[in-house]
Amino acid sequence: MENDPTIFQVIAGGPLKVSGRFRIKGPDGKLIKTEGPVFLCRCGQSSNKPFCNGKHKQIGFSE
Amino acid sequence: MDDPRNRQYTNGEITVFWVPSKCIHATTCFRELIEVFNPGRRPWVNMEGAPTRKIIEVVNKCPTQSLAWKYNKDLTEAEQKAQRVEEPKMEETPKTLSGSNAPTSIRLMEDGPIVVEGNFKIISAENQELKTTLMTSFCRCGASRNMPFCDGTHRKINFTDKSAEDGE
Repeated sequence: MENDPTIFQVIAGGPLKVSGRFRIKGPDGKLIKTEGPVFLCRCGQSSNKPFCNGKHKQIGFSE
Repeated sequence: MDDPRNRQYTNGEITVFWVPSKCIHATTCFRELIEVFNPGRRPWVNMEGAPTRKIIEVVNKCPTQSLAWKYNKDLTEAEQKAQRVEEPKMEETPKTLSGSNAPTSIRLMEDGPIVVEGNFKIISAENQELKTTLMTSFCRCGASRNMPFCDGTHRKINFTDKSAEDGE
């Protein structure tokens, strides 16, 4: 729905799942993505930033 | 300076002054330094979020007289007294995008957090809905002590979002 809030779901020991209506812009202001869901890296170690690549499992990330 | 809504915040070295009535909501402060100026938090100014030098730089960019700063040694007697006043629970903060139908804005800060603005909900790792504000910032470096939110730690650990070192 048009006015439904965007959902940010924190996955324990893993990424941030984003679904709904959004626009992701990079540090340079460039539009990166507008359709979800996407999984954003939270552990800091993904080689596919800003997206998750599963690395958090290898490094045993926990908050 | 007599407006009861006015606030001052210090890190022991400098004091930042906040005059809500003069704010035009240019949003410069939190776009530049969300670790310190975060309207979604109370108090909304966290003086521990960045080095003094960086705070001064961003306060100087405020297009109005709403934010100002002084070295603590230069404070007037009245200002020193105000320093000791307890922070009341109610605190006015800069307005962000509100009542907007626009899609939620998600901005990746260079070597820093994910800054979110708009109409959104946060579900925690424990499946609880976290208090939602119009604006927040999520940790991207993995080292915040206030997960899932940014607390400025990425600066201390020199986090980089360039993923060259891992080139598969």
